[in-house]
Amino acid sequence: MKNKTLFAVILILLAVVLPFIVPVFWVHVLTEILIMGLFAASFNMIFGYMGQLTFGHAAYYGVGAYTTGLLMVKANVPLLVCLPLSMLSAGLCAALLGYFCVKLRGIYFAILTMAFGQLVYYIIFQWYSFTGGDNGLQGIVPPEFLGKAANPYYFFTLTVVTIGMIALWIISESPFGYTMRAIRDNAERTEFIGINVQRYMLLNFIIAAMFAGLAGALWGPFNRSVAPDLTNWQHSGMPVFMTVMGGPFSFLGPLVGSAIYTFLMALVTSFTEYWPLVSGVIIILVVLLMPGGFLGLLDEKFPFLMRKGNGTGKTDGQGRQER
Amino acid sequence: MDFRKTTAFFVTVITCLFFFGMTGVKAAEPYNLGVALGLTGAGALYSADGVEGIKLAVEEINAKGGFLGQHKIELFIRDSQTKPDVGVREVKDLILRDKIRAVINDYSSAVAVAVKPIAQEYKVLHIAAISNSENITKINPSPYTFQVVPNTYMQGKASAVAVAKIANQKGWKEYITIASDYEWGRSTQDEVVKVLKALAPNLTLKKEFWPRLGEAQFTSYITGIMAMKPDFVFGILASNDNVAWMEQAKTYGFFDKIPYPGSLITVTELQLQAKTLPRNMIALTRAPFFAHMDIPMMADFVKNYRAKYNKYPSDWAVLCYDAVYTLKQGVEKAKSIDTEKVKDEMKGMTVNLTRGKLTFRAIDNQLSCSSYVGTITDDPRYPFPIYKDIVEVKGSESERPESEILEARKAAK
Amino acid sequence: MDITSLFTQFLSGLTYGTILFLVAAGLSLIFGVMNILNFAHAALWLMGAYFSYTFWNLMQSYSFAFWLSIPLAGFAAAAVGWVLEMVLIKRIYKRELYEQLLITYSVALILSDTIKLTWGVTNKLIVRPEMIRKPVFIFGAPLDSYFIFVILAGAAVAIGLWWFLKYTRYGHIVKAAVFSREMVSALGIPIPRIYTWVFTLGIFLAGFAGGIQAPIGSITLGMDTAIIIQAFCVVVIGGFGSLLGTLVGSLIVGEVMSFTILFWPEGAMVLIFVITAAILIVRPWGLFGTPMRT
Repeated sequence: MKNKTLFAVILILLAVVLPFIVPVFWVHVLTEILIMGLFAASFNMIFGYMGQLTFGHAAYYGVGAYTTGLLMVKANVPLLVCLPLSMLSAGLCAALLGYFCVKLRGIYFAILTMAFGQLVYYIIFQWYSFTGGDNGLQGIVPPEFLGKAANPYYFFTLTVVTIGMIALWIISESPFGYTMRAIRDNAERTEFIGINVQRYMLLNFIIAAMFAGLAGALWGPFNRSVAPDLTNWQHSGMPVFMTVMGGPFSFLGPLVGSAIYTFLMALVTSFTEYWPLVSGVIIILVVLLMPGGFLGLLDEKFPFLMRKGNGTGKTDGQGRQER
Repeated sequence: MDFRKTTAFFVTVITCLFFFGMTGVKAAEPYNLGVALGLTGAGALYSADGVEGIKLAVEEINAKGGFLGQHKIELFIRDSQTKPDVGVREVKDLILRDKIRAVINDYSSAVAVAVKPIAQEYKVLHIAAISNSENITKINPSPYTFQVVPNTYMQGKASAVAVAKIANQKGWKEYITIASDYEWGRSTQDEVVKVLKALAPNLTLKKEFWPRLGEAQFTSYITGIMAMKPDFVFGILASNDNVAWMEQAKTYGFFDKIPYPGSLITVTELQLQAKTLPRNMIALTRAPFFAHMDIPMMADFVKNYRAKYNKYPSDWAVLCYDAVYTLKQGVEKAKSIDTEKVKDEMKGMTVNLTRGKLTFRAIDNQLSCSSYVGTITDDPRYPFPIYKDIVEVKGSESERPESEILEARKAAK
Repeated sequence: MDITSLFTQFLSGLTYGTILFLVAAGLSLIFGVMNILNFAHAALWLMGAYFSYTFWNLMQSYSFAFWLSIPLAGFAAAAVGWVLEMVLIKRIYKRELYEQLLITYSVALILSDTIKLTWGVTNKLIVRPEMIRKPVFIFGAPLDSYFIFVILAGAAVAIGLWWFLKYTRYGHIVKAAVFSREMVSALGIPIPRIYTWVFTLGIFLAGFAGGIQAPIGSITLGMDTAIIIQAFCVVVIGGFGSLLGTLVGSLIVGEVMSFTILFWPEGAMVLIFVITAAILIVRPWGLFGTPMRT
C-alpha cells in the first residue's frame, strides 16, 4: 500500500516539474497527451470495462469541443462554465444515440457507433451557418486568468484531467464498475441475476461520453480552433489505438498509450511526412506482438512491477478475460 | 492500480524528453522559412506548383548568401492537407519546434483564416500566396498577415464585370452558380452575385449548387444543371475539383451547350487540359506568366523555372515565388531579419515582383495586384492555350473601397 | 422537373451505384466469409486506380491500352491482396474484433502512404479513347458514354459472381462458409486456403473497381477515405455476405445521393447515415443478410 502512494506522488511530481525543464514545444505535447489520455480513458470505460468496441467515440469528444467553442466564441461564456456544459451536451447526445447502440453487441455495436459518429460529423460539417462547417471555429482562446502561454494552460489541463481520471477511477471501482465488468464477462448471466443490462450499458455509455466531452472541451482553447474532423471515424480510432498501445485492461493503460502515441507523433513528424505509414506499422506490431499493450509488456518483463491479482490482460475468443 | 508500471514508463519518457528537448535549440543565423500548403487533399495540384516556385526563389537567394547576404534560408515544408485543424497544428509545430520566422500558407482560404490568429499570437509573418479569401485581410486584420494574390473581392469583381458586359450584350436572363462549399467558394460567389445584380439587373440567379470541397463525382450536378437549361453557368471551383469538374462536364457536352464565362481557369488548367479545354471561352486567372513577359524579372523567372522543372510556371509558382521575394524586400527594407521590424516595414511597402511594381495597401496588407480576364486561345509559342485579348484589371480598379472595409470591421466586432 | 431530368438523375444514381457496388462487392464477400471488416478495402481500390494509370501509361501507344489496363489493375491489386493475406491477415483470423479492425485500419494507413510514395501527390489523368469522349442520349437524357461500359461491367461482375456462387463447386463452398465455417471445416475442406482465395478475389474486385473508376475525372490521394464509409453503408444496408444485398444496397445509396442532391444537397450524406443507422437498429444483418453467428 505504501508503494502505491509513493508512485502516485512521483507521477504527480513529474507532471508538475516537467514544463519547467523542457522547451515550450514539448509542453504543448504534454498538454495534448493529457487531453487525449482523458479521451482514451473515457473510451476504455466502454471498451475495457464493458467489453464493447465503440468506433464513434469521437462524436462526443467533438460535441464537447464544439459546445465549448461555440459558447466561448459566440456568447463569451467563461471556460469554467463551459466545461460542465460540454459534459452535459455530450451526455445528452450519448443518451439519444446510445439508446439505440446498446441494443446491439459486437460488430453491430461497433458499426452503429461508427455510423452515428459519421452522422454527427456530417451534421456539424453541413450546418455551416451555425458551426462554420469545414472552416471550423476560430478564435477560441484560453480565459484571461490563464493567458495564452503554454504553462498555465498545461497546469489547468493537468488539474481538470486529474480530477476527471479520479472520477473515472471511482466509478470503475464502484459497484457500478463491477457490474460493467460482469456485463463484459458474461452479459447473459448478468441479466439472469436481475440486472437490466441495457440500462446499465446506456448509463455507462453516457458517462463515458461525458468525459469524452470534457476532454474535447479542453481541446478548443488549447488549439485555438475546432473543426468537424474532431468527430470523424479516423479520430474515433485514436482512443482505440492509444488504449491498445498502452494496455486495454488496466486503468492507466489509455493514458500511457496516449503518451506513447502523441510523443512518437511529435517526434516522427519532425523528420518525415509519412507518419501514417509509421503509425500503421507500429499498431500492427503492437497488436501482433504486444497484446497487453505497453503495460502488459512491462508486466511480463519486469514482474516486480506487477501486483498480485491483476488479470493477465488476455482474453479467450469470447471476450472473457483470463484470470 | 498499476502506478508502478506507469511511473517506470514515465521515467523512461522523461529521459527521452530531456534528450530530445536539447535538440530543440537552433542557431540564430539561418532564416527559418516555413511552408504549410495543401500538399494532399483538394489543393494538391496548385500547392505542388507553389512549392516549386518557393524552392527556386530560395535557391536563387541562397546562391547570393541568403537574406541580407548572410542569412541562408532554411525551408521547412509541411502538408496542411487542405484542412484547417491540420494546418493550424502544422504551423504551430513549425513555429514551436522548427522556430520559423515566417510561413507561406495556404492553398485553402479556410486554413489561412485559421492560421492567421496563430501567426499573430506567436508573432510570425504569415504570407498568403495562393489562398485568397477576402476575409483573410478584411476583418480581424493581423499586422503579421500579408496577401500577395488578388483576393476574392478583386477576382470576383473583375470577372463579374466582364460577364455582366457579355450578359447585357447577349440579353441573357437566367444563370446558375456552382461553387465549392467552403470559405473561398462562398466568398467569391457572394461577390460575383452582388456585382452581377448591380451591373446586369435583368439577370436572375436561378439556382446555386454547392459541391463540397474535394468532390470527385460531379455527374449529378452536371445533369442537374443541364436539365435546367440556364443562359449561362458561373463556376467557382479550383485545383483538383476544377479539373475533375471540367473533365466530367466535357464528356456530357456541357461546354458545347451552355456558356461558361468568367470562371477560374488558371495556367494549371490550361496546361493540364490543353487537349480538351474548350476554346474561345472567357476565363479568369490570378497570375499568368504570359501576361508579363515584358518584365525582366518575369522573363528570367520563366527561363530559370523551365530550366529547373522542364515546364512553364503556373500562377501558383509565380505567386509563391513572388511571396519569397516580397519577404526578401521586406527584410532588406528593415535591414534586419527581426520579424517585428520586417512587419512594420512591409506595411504599405512597394515591391518589385514578376508581375511588376506593386504596393501593399496599408489598411489591409493586401497587395494591389491585378486580376486577368481573357479568351482561351491557342498560341504557337506554347504547347498549351493561353489567354488572348487579356484585360488586366488592376488592383486599384478592383479593390474594395477602404470605407467599406472599415465598416465591415466595425460590424465584425 | 420533367421526366427527362428525373431519368437523368436516375441514370446518374445508377452509375454511382454501380461504382459503389464494385467496391462493396469484395468488402461484402470478405466479411461474409471471413468475418473480417476490411478497412483497407478502399485503399486497395485506390491502388487499383493508380495501377491502371501506370499500365495505361506504359502501353499508351496501343489502342487497347485503356481497356486492358482495367483488368490488369485488378490482377495487380489481387497480387498485393494475396501477399497481404498470407503475411498478415492469416494471423488475425481468430483474433478479437478490435484487433482485426486495428490491423486492417493500419494496413489502410500504410497503403495510403505507399501510394503517395510510389505515385506522388499530383493528380493522374487518363485520356479516354476517342469513342467515349462524347455523351450519348437515352430518351433525351445525356449520359457519359463511358458510364455505359461501367454499368455493363458492373452487371457482368454481378452476374459472374452470382453464377460462381450458384453453379460452381468453389462457389458452393464459399456460400456454405458464409453460413457456417465449422461445418465446412468439418467436411474436410481447408478453411485457410478458402480464406486466402476469397480475400484475393475480393481484392481483385476492389482493384478492378479502381481501374473502372480511374478514367472518371482524375485520380487523387484521399479518394479512399471518402468512399470507404459509403461502401460500409452499402454493405450494412444490403447485408454482409449477400451479393443481392450488395447490389440493392449500392443502388439505394446511389439513387438516394443522386436525388437528394437536387432538393437537399447538404443532407445527402446525413440521409445515408440515417438510413444505415435505421437498418442497423431494426435489422442489423441488413436487407438480405443472414443473422450473424457469434
